[in-house]
Amino acid sequence: MEDKDISYLNCVHCGKCLPVCPTYRISLNEFYSPRGRVRLILTDNNDVLPLKVSKVAEAMSTCLLCGRCVNICPNDVKIGDLIINERIKLNELQDNKFSLGAIALKALKNKRKILLKSALKIANIPIINQLNRRFVPNPQGKAFISARNYRFKADRNGAGGKREEIRAGYFSGCVFNSIYPQISADTVASLVKNGVSVFVPQMQGCCGLPFISSGDISSFKDLALNNANAFKAQDIDYIVTSCASCSYSVNKLYPLYFNKNDEGYSEVLNFSKKLLNIWSFFKVLEKKGIDIKAGELQKETDAVFHIPCHLLNSPEFKPSSYNEGLIGEAGLIVDKIAGLKLKPLKHNYCCGNGGMFNIRHYDLSKEITRLKFEEIKEAFPQNILTSCSGCMFSLSDQRGILKEQQGIPVNHLISIYAQSLKE
Amino acid sequence: MNQKLIKEFEELLGKNRVLSEAEELLCYSYDATSKEFMPDVVVFPLNSNEISNIVKLCLKYNTPVVGRGSGSGFSGGSLPLKGGVVVSFTKMNHILEIDEENMFVTVEPGVINADLKSYLAEKGYFYPPDPASYEFSTIGGNVAECSGGPSAVKYGVTKDYVAALELITGDGEIINTGSKSVKDVSGYNLTQLMVGSEGTLGLFSKITLKFLSNPEANSLILVSFDDIGNGFNAAISLLKLRNRPSMLEFMDKSSIESVKSYFKSDIIKIEGAFLFIIEADGSRLEVGESVAEYEKILKEFSPVFLFSSGSEEEKRVIMEARKAISPSLRKYGDLKINNDIAVPINKIIEMLSFIEGISKTYNVPIINFGHFGDGNIHVNIMLNKDDADMVKRGEKAKFEILKKTAEAGGSLSGEHGIGLEKKEFMKLKYNDYYMNILKNIKKVFDPRNIINPGKIF
Ligand SMILES: Cc1cc2nc3c(=O)[nH]c(=O)nc-3n(C[C@H](O)[C@H](O)[C@H](O)COP(=O)(O)OP(=O)(O)OC[C@H]3O[C@@H](n4cnc5c(N)ncnc54)[C@H](O)[C@@H]3O)c2cc1C
Ligand code: SF4
Ligand code: SF4
Repeated sequence: MEDKDISYLNCVHCGKCLPVCPTYRISLNEFYSPRGRVRLILTDNNDVLPLKVSKVAEAMSTCLLCGRCVNICPNDVKIGDLIINERIKLNELQDNKFSLGAIALKALKNKRKILLKSALKIANIPIINQLNRRFVPNPQGKAFISARNYRFKADRNGAGGKREEIRAGYFSGCVFNSIYPQISADTVASLVKNGVSVFVPQMQGCCGLPFISSGDISSFKDLALNNANAFKAQDIDYIVTSCASCSYSVNKLYPLYFNKNDEGYSEVLNFSKKLLNIWSFFKVLEKKGIDIKAGELQKETDAVFHIPCHLLNSPEFKPSSYNEGLIGEAGLIVDKIAGLKLKPLKHNYCCGNGGMFNIRHYDLSKEITRLKFEEIKEAFPQNILTSCSGCMFSLSDQRGILKEQQGIPVNHLISIYAQSLKE
Repeated sequence: MNQKLIKEFEELLGKNRVLSEAEELLCYSYDATSKEFMPDVVVFPLNSNEISNIVKLCLKYNTPVVGRGSGSGFSGGSLPLKGGVVVSFTKMNHILEIDEENMFVTVEPGVINADLKSYLAEKGYFYPPDPASYEFSTIGGNVAECSGGPSAVKYGVTKDYVAALELITGDGEIINTGSKSVKDVSGYNLTQLMVGSEGTLGLFSKITLKFLSNPEANSLILVSFDDIGNGFNAAISLLKLRNRPSMLEFMDKSSIESVKSYFKSDIIKIEGAFLFIIEADGSRLEVGESVAEYEKILKEFSPVFLFSSGSEEEKRVIMEARKAISPSLRKYGDLKINNDIAVPINKIIEMLSFIEGISKTYNVPIINFGHFGDGNIHVNIMLNKDDADMVKRGEKAKFEILKKTAEAGGSLSGEHGIGLEKKEFMKLKYNDYYMNILKNIKKVFDPRNIINPGKIF
């Protein structure tokens, strides 16, 4: 963390950020808007008005950290970062009561060893369930990572014959390790088939997003350092994740909260620089002149791709196909799957998950998800695809929200790709 | 504030449509000006009867009542200058009826302009008024401020589209003005009186708007000149054409600078000191012909840069940059005095060089951009809040500019309204007799002066 962020001073109250904010769109009340939150933060920092901590906390905790407001703000007001900072401050004031999910979070962090043996099943789910009546999907089976490091050798036959070996690490994140282990398996398989050797260290854990977004900066930093160390000794140029929220946490937030004199600063930064989301990584492969393998589905089908709020395209990305125009870098993989037709979504609304937001504000979250399903309904697809653990949760949890879509399958795009390569 | 009034509101609307905690009120204390006033309570009505009852309660408790859309106004229109009740129309955001035969659409006031535009576009129709804030401002706010944007040069502004209104007066009565007939001269034209009334005569609950068919195609041209005289003459030539542009926006050097990062894509590189964004629309054939004709004319005036956009992506980048100017000026100073004067087109050059002189005399940066086609210039005086002397110089510069505008036969506000920001300048243009007429009109609609008091005069 460099100097304290005072970008709230840049806000000119133009209102441009209102309609893009999922919580404003639902509430139509500025107290739940980016402009309102920034205004509260300004006042709180200038100490001109005494504000009720619980009320400010309500405005802050209802933010999904989706980043839509930051993307549209013409004045570089870093709303998400400001809100995280405010949460950290409130946490101290409220003696940790702010993080309602504190118990669940503790389990995620301390039982790392157990977590690796699908601890979410054992430790966290019951706790999260107690916190809320929220549905948590049953794990698909055994956790992906168990007792040791894994190495997967590149499939050199299928992948354009002789060329330098590309080595990548795989960062699963907790959900794709424990709840949807198949997604991890599909990611690794897709990489291997494209001639990439993959290393999966056992000691990796949660990316830390649930912690920092609850204002628990010290746990967040512990986890970041642990992840950096897990990959440190390896001679790899890239670390790939198939979860958009993990990449947001590692790429955006790690550099923001580590100071030069923090223990492990350079390891963490190095880790952060090497980590890419899976779609950007395929673009890197393409740029290296590698032909991304094409696959084919046995049965033709169509789908919408829900773009996760935290899916970051590489800065120099320019769409070069119809599918990329619709959904960004992930479009490259859709191009490679014969038999999959992508249908556009009109607004690309947020899914309403927002990590801990979904647990704390279940009803608000559900309303946002409903809006999402309205637009999905209009597109009338056979499948819903995405590439973020949080989005997978919300979309599969709530797909019954509209009668018409009760049984619609929700999948990670990488799984469809892996399937097309098999067939 | 009177706890009893809050209680009555809660009974009327339910607790969740009444805000009264300080933290919530703070989020309703501003608009896009840099002024702030705290309301005492914020209420969210859902229909005209509720609005009527809200106004009646305000009369009972003798409390001011101020309408608010998205709070994106540039003249303080939605600020509760004297405290009281803010009526937020954001939850009245439904499109009520579309009459495709007569080409009218009836909406609630909280509908966002962009949502109406895309609703109509899907059906092949077109609602032209396009303030740069169209993606977030409400139709109610647009009507109250008579907002307009780039398309005004060909299609006019909000007032040209409002056909009928339902509104609640300062007595709490519901009245209907206007009709869907194109010809309607039964009595005074109260509809047009309401358009641009800045929320001081009544609160709109239903708005009936005219719409057009969607033009089949459009195309953009970017052109810039080193010599302002050349640029001016080129623009005038385009306006004389039978197929005049559907947009003719200009940017001076500093506004170009402020949004340059938007143009950083290799699509467009800007040179020159004075830039125009020009649009042609119509059938595909017409657009092709117009673009060729515009280019031919522009080339006669030795432009330093001429670019015709082909792709949707290029068009989007250009329009994003245009919309970003106003909010991104902040890098020139943290306090903006924003004047949106309008002068007859043949006075634009004179006005701009006068402004340049004023900027030097008072040593304050002044950034100009706007709608050349209708003479509407956004004159932004950029100041540092903490530099008291500079703020004083800025105020003086503003005064000189508005005085000159009045002398040139122009208007003190092309689109943002008078509100709080310019009320002391009304006397530059109007004498007491005239001002009295305005005040008496206000009295007829709002005898107790509770609707948005303290604005305009
Ligand atoms: C970045 C930016 C760019 C802008 N560009 C333009 C532009 O190009 N052209 C332009 O004309 N304006 C522009 N504006 C100004 C502003 O957006 C317009 O005046 C807009 O119409 C205000 O709409 P709003 O919904 O935000 O209304 P508000 O700001 O909330 O209110 C404006 C006025 O309308 C009144 N009002 C609102 N709803 C009602 C109702 N239902 N009944 C009665 N009165 C009501 C309010 O009392 C107030 O007086 C811009 C503003 C910003 C921040
Ligand atoms: S878009 Fe940026 S400047 Fe405008 S209100 Fe939102 S935070 Fe403030
Ligand atoms: S991050 Fe998302 S939820 Fe939070 S204020 Fe911004 S737009 Fe709203």
